[in-house]
Amino acid sequence: MTLQAQASSSFAVGIPSLTSPLGGSSHRLVVRAKVEPSDKSVEIMRKFSEQYARKSGTYFCVDKGVTSVVIKGLADHKDSLGAPLCPCRHYDDKPAEAGQGFWNCPCVPMRERKECHCMLFLTPDNDFAGKEQAISLEEIKESTANM
Amino acid sequence: MAVSVSTSTIPSLNSGCSNRFAAPSSSSSSLQFPLRVPQIRIGTTGLWSPSRPRVLLVKATKQTFSSFDDLLANTDKPVLVDFYATWCGPCQFMAPVLNEVSARLKDKIQVVKIDTEKYPSIADKYRIEALPTFIIFKDREPYDRFEGALTADQLIQRIENTLKVKQ
Repeated sequence: MTLQAQASSSFAVGIPSLTSPLGGSSHRLVVRAKVEPSDKSVEIMRKFSEQYARKSGTYFCVDKGVTSVVIKGLADHKDSLGAPLCPCRHYDDKPAEAGQGFWNCPCVPMRERKECHCMLFLTPDNDFAGKEQAISLEEIKESTANM
Repeated sequence: MAVSVSTSTIPSLNSGCSNRFAAPSSSSSSLQFPLRVPQIRIGTTGLWSPSRPRVLLVKATKQTFSSFDDLLANTDKPVLVDFYATWCGPCQFMAPVLNEVSARLKDKIQVVKIDTEKYPSIADKYRIEALPTFIIFKDREPYDRFEGALTADQLIQRIENTLKVKQ
């Protein structure tokens, strides 16, 4: 078995890869990027996003990749914290924040002022607002396939 | 001697463990730490085993920093730092924008990305809340700071205004 390094960059073979499947025939060192949210949570947050956009009269971003990433971020927090904490913020203590609720989606700024800095729910006057209030699971998967 | 960082590549701090895979769509000039990037080693946070050096050669440029402070100290240009998180939509939107800005302003500013989930202490130090937050550092100190996604033209305008005024 040989590890083939790409010509344009050098992989230091000594670096441990926690998830790389070394074994068998020669192949490129492949490392899984990160943990993905569960399909179930993604579906829940996808449905929620569609319903809430309709209910609030807001629209998804012209770039559905942004929508997809945020939906996955919400799903990821739902998996890890039990609540869809806003993925576009830095927190000192995520579990505490999820328990407190201000930043659980739909967050207070969104509920009170339709302010969504995640660019998930955009008011029609926003430069980045598209015309859609729907997004399919396929769109989400395709948009985030390269992450 | 100032360490010259190749401006066509954007060093990013996004992993405490060495298993981050570069997203092909953004890897053209955005380097994902640590597999094929200038390694930014944080010596103080306990994320690194001292017995395992994690310096890699990237293209023709070898870049080593022992900490974020070291990076700031050793870059002779102002530095635009993008504080981001993986699942933050607007942050991902900014990835190609930053590549473009880095290329267009390559002699004027160095662009660096910091994953706030992998380096929370740096994010705490600069009181990062909303993501993305951009801080322009000059002479190692925060000089300008703004949040949210913007287009390449808007970002370039902001950078040029900031650097012009301060100079």
